[in-house]
Amino acid sequence: MHLEEKSLEQLTNGFKLFEGMQKDNLGYIYRGLFTQNITDSILALTENNLESVGESSKVKKRVFSIMVECLQNVTRHQTPESVEVVEPEQSGIFVIQTKNNAYQITSGNVVEKKAIPHLKQLLEKINGLEKDALKEYYKQILEDGSISDKGGAGLGLIEMARKSGNKLYYDFKDINKEISYFYLHTAISKELEEQIESVDLNNIKHLHDIVNKENIMLIFNGCLNQDSLINLLSIIEGQSIGAVDIKKKLFNIMVEMLQNIVKHGAKKDENMVGNPAIFFISQVGNNYILNTGNYIESHIVDTLSEKLDHVNSLEGDELDNFYTRRLLNFDIDNSKEAGLGIIDLRIKSGNKILYNFETVNEKISFISMQVKI
Amino acid sequence: MEALFIKATDETPEITLNHVTGEYCISHRSLPENAIGFYAPVFDWIEKFSQNPPVDEISFIFNLEYFNTASAKQIAKVLLMLEKLSEKIDVTVVWKYKKDDVDMMSSGLRFSKLLNMEFEIQEVE
Repeated sequence: MHLEEKSLEQLTNGFKLFEGMQKDNLGYIYRGLFTQNITDSILALTENNLESVGESSKVKKRVFSIMVECLQNVTRHQTPESVEVVEPEQSGIFVIQTKNNAYQITSGNVVEKKAIPHLKQLLEKINGLEKDALKEYYKQILEDGSISDKGGAGLGLIEMARKSGNKLYYDFKDINKEISYFYLHTAISKELEEQIESVDLNNIKHLHDIVNKENIMLIFNGCLNQDSLINLLSIIEGQSIGAVDIKKKLFNIMVEMLQNIVKHGAKKDENMVGNPAIFFISQVGNNYILNTGNYIESHIVDTLSEKLDHVNSLEGDELDNFYTRRLLNFDIDNSKEAGLGIIDLRIKSGNKILYNFETVNEKISFISMQVKI
Repeated sequence: MEALFIKATDETPEITLNHVTGEYCISHRSLPENAIGFYAPVFDWIEKFSQNPPVDEISFIFNLEYFNTASAKQIAKVLLMLEKLSEKIDVTVVWKYKKDDVDMMSSGLRFSKLLNMEFEIQEVE
């Protein structure tokens, strides 16, 4: 699809995506190469978000330890020995969502087809064991010392089953005759002891198809504050993005877009720490498309669109002069505003800023913004 | 007067202001949510220093890899204070940027045009 068409489609999809995910309160998707740094950032991001919504420490701990196991699984097994180069569409995926009063954690990574029977057997065995039996099995494996060269012997899987108190749901999907995707899912109920009955992994498979097709690297839906912003930044910094200058631009533009939301976003629930927002990045050819969506107070819609139109209408030197005038205008200088963010986005990206408003109610509107680099 | 040293974090720069060792430097990255609050001690320090400068020459180094727009304004304020100080003593601003970092170089150029003082722009590896 042409870049213009694609980006416009994404801009309007932002609100739909947000409305859809918002009901679920939290959710993000990371797709790409998993490294220690990226894993750490994803963990920190989740910790921050669980804190923002005031989750109990018991649930927090469980979600956290299951995530650790799950992410380690992906990191260890993301490059099967028979695969020399991991194609982008073969990158691993990690998804966390809240749905049905539970945290739903899913990972997806490539496995060699010949490893599938053993994997299935292991998962079935774990799913067939009750709490105490699981513990025994865990001990037994530790004592046997039969740890594979990738450092795992199913211990991670057992841990996940123990900590979640739920079954491990799994599925496979053909990629080619050598390899498949392996999806692994578990859930942690917010009411700790509650069992999650069944899970439809087709949703996740579908979602994976979409992010692969759209080449989306990251979707974040949650509370945005300075801490989560820093974590999101380090996820992007950890990516193997080609040229250094592009990566730097991506970083700069993310900071301004996200800090805009931290400072000017509105929320429906005053108890939240941070502002609800959606953020996603996709890659189209050599371009990156950054999208944000967040609530703002309806009364600033007119001023904001005037400002955006004005900045979009300026080119070259005019833009530069406008920046300088604003830089030295110390009347606009408080902890909320320096008056430079939007101009900076326009200058650094070299593109116009696309935007769209939707009225939610009298007081609140939703703004989608898109910057291309 | 006391030296000012602030350690760098993921979101705030390292600040060294020390008239004994002759180090005046802002480095790393600057993207705090509240830039005004972060730079307040820097303004205070320069203000105090300027009232009765203990040396007659300083070289003030900016070696930033990135700053957000909220910080841009605070950096402008620091520079304006240094411009004022340059009426009393010799002040040279050294603006360093990493090779190929066009954005950081143009920020330096922008500031240098706005100020009436010694301003060097240096490419570093």
